[in-house]
Amino acid sequence: MTPAAANAPSQARSPGLASVARQRSVGFWAEAWRRFSCRPLAMSALVLVTFLFAVAVFAPAIAGTKPVVCRYKGRLYAPCLAYFDRRLEPAIFTHDRFRGAYPRNLQEKDPASWAVWPLLFQDPYRAVRENEWPGQPANPTRGEGSPNRWNLFGTDQYGVDVLAKMIHGTTTALLVGLVSMGIAGSIGIIVGALGGYFGGWVDMLASRVTEVVMCIPTLVLILALMAIVEKPTIWKTMAILGITGWTGIARLTRAEFLRLRNSEFVLAARATGAGPLRIMIRHILPNALAPVLVPISFGIASAILTESSLSFLGFGTPPPSASWGAVLNDARSNLHSWWLVVFPGMAIFLTVLAYNLVGEGLQAATDPRLREARK
Amino acid sequence: MAGYLVQRTVFGLLTLLVITAVVYGLARNMPGTPLTSQLGESDPSRKQNPADLERMKKAYGLDKPWPEGYRLWLGNVIRGDLGRSISRKQPVVTLIGERIGPTLLVSGTAFTLVWFLAVPLGLYAAARSGSPDERLTSLLLYVLYSFPTFVAALFLQITFAVWLKGTPWELPLFGMTDLPTDAPWASRVLDIARHAILPVVCQTYVALAYDSRFIKATMEEAIRQDYVRTARAKGAGPWRVLVLHAFRNTLIPLVTLLGLSLPGLIGGSVIIEQVFSWPGMGRLFFESIRERDYPTIMGLTLTFSLATLLGQFLADILYCMVDPRVSVES
Repeated sequence: MTPAAANAPSQARSPGLASVARQRSVGFWAEAWRRFSCRPLAMSALVLVTFLFAVAVFAPAIAGTKPVVCRYKGRLYAPCLAYFDRRLEPAIFTHDRFRGAYPRNLQEKDPASWAVWPLLFQDPYRAVRENEWPGQPANPTRGEGSPNRWNLFGTDQYGVDVLAKMIHGTTTALLVGLVSMGIAGSIGIIVGALGGYFGGWVDMLASRVTEVVMCIPTLVLILALMAIVEKPTIWKTMAILGITGWTGIARLTRAEFLRLRNSEFVLAARATGAGPLRIMIRHILPNALAPVLVPISFGIASAILTESSLSFLGFGTPPPSASWGAVLNDARSNLHSWWLVVFPGMAIFLTVLAYNLVGEGLQAATDPRLREARK
Repeated sequence: MAGYLVQRTVFGLLTLLVITAVVYGLARNMPGTPLTSQLGESDPSRKQNPADLERMKKAYGLDKPWPEGYRLWLGNVIRGDLGRSISRKQPVVTLIGERIGPTLLVSGTAFTLVWFLAVPLGLYAAARSGSPDERLTSLLLYVLYSFPTFVAALFLQITFAVWLKGTPWELPLFGMTDLPTDAPWASRVLDIARHAILPVVCQTYVALAYDSRFIKATMEEAIRQDYVRTARAKGAGPWRVLVLHAFRNTLIPLVTLLGLSLPGLIGGSVIIEQVFSWPGMGRLFFESIRERDYPTIMGLTLTFSLATLLGQFLADILYCMVDPRVSVES
């Protein structure tokens, strides 16, 4: 987030005042980054988050049963993209009746073909059969799949590899965090900015709405909203987490805008003829961003937590999508399969911990009051 | 003061009105009704015939559109009647009365434990701030704070109900009691206590981690104040300074925290009660959403929101009590 945020002030192109502001703002973020990088815990958390993002993006290339790239009948394909969206599966493989079994069919139907395979020949949605990959045994089922050479994290009741599920679940977890906090952040910043900047009845209305939403117990609202959705998908879950999680951000943004709206640089901007929208977005927001980013980072952690608890309660995304919480839900009825609990549980825990530590590092790096306190 | 109370009450009632209307609207628009969701899903052959369904809908007042239904519900609530549960065939008040005891047993015990442990822990962390043992404790508490309750609950279940099965350390997996109601009371109390241990631990550790961090943060701010330096300068001992001078002044934010924990005390935790099949309020809410049991959903929503509003109100009143500089008028 830091590079994007650092770019924001430099977009102010008006000469004179803005160029002074730009230098100071860039300095602020560079300074914040210096402070942030001094904290070993926050830095290792950031490394972990980056690693998780890499896993999420490259999930189909890490674990899957479809080739990353293959040459078939003279053309190049990337069937692994089908893990992101089923429509991306090249039509020729359906036409040639591959039925998901790539290694054997590629060999039989075009001996001249070649393919680059994922690191791990395991599927997050089905059990691998015997000799589907030359020499690899069938996945064990019914609680007999404790971690072994072929299934490092074991298999579930139906023989689906837990590690493959978790790798593909990373995409879900990180998307949930980012998208839902993106929605919550937008709502919160808009509501808070309007209330804080305009004051008067706008503020009255914005604050009352925020307070009422805050009074509804969050899980009550989320469960009620989840139940109303006909077919829950991961995108609907994200939207619901977004529209229930914005109140804290709105309050903080309002406080920042209240503090800044009478400052000299806003007065100067107004004197140059800038409209309210321009002042809010180009002048106040970049200065109010640092305190608002902190609850967003904590919010990502809590969104990931809420999504996995919803899946765990059986209220989340339906089975064909891979979610860490869903693996844990399977574990509830098979407590003897400890690997169904330990691995996904630790994944959720470490991700939440990482985002919390990043948030705290951000807070320590950007909050001047805490900085003084350290001395 | 009276003006403040009136203003506060009016706003509280308006908030309740908005919340209940929103939740009622949502509940009535969930797919399925309490009359069809139980039988139809489990066994298609037992679906009621349409005429019966219409008659039952009429009997429960479900044939009207939801704004009409909400008006009726509101009218009954004002007359002190929360209605009858559709799926459980009991008055909602009776249901809540049955469930609030188990919830209070767990959340009350957890609450007491948290405050007895969090205050000393926070004071200790503030006193030894910066030392290696304090940093280790703080790190552990932070890790604990990020540990999801349902993961912890599953870990505890695996440890105490699966791995330690057959040893004296074995604890029951879920439920509140295995004994019949006519068993001697001493053994029943013991049995319930054994069942309550894991839920209490789960509910305690998160709050403990959060509260002790909070206390430490406010204490660190307090010990930088001038009056603490003065107290030290006049020769007060370190513990005296910490407890009588610094801690007394951190009571203000603590009181707010205390008020905010009221809804959790009454509402319990949906997740913990669900994992341990604990017959409390949170589980009742979860079940009533599943069963589309509108009167129970509404009764519980009302209780939870009332607890939240009361908690905030209580926090404000206590705030004035501990800090004489603050008055409600401003």
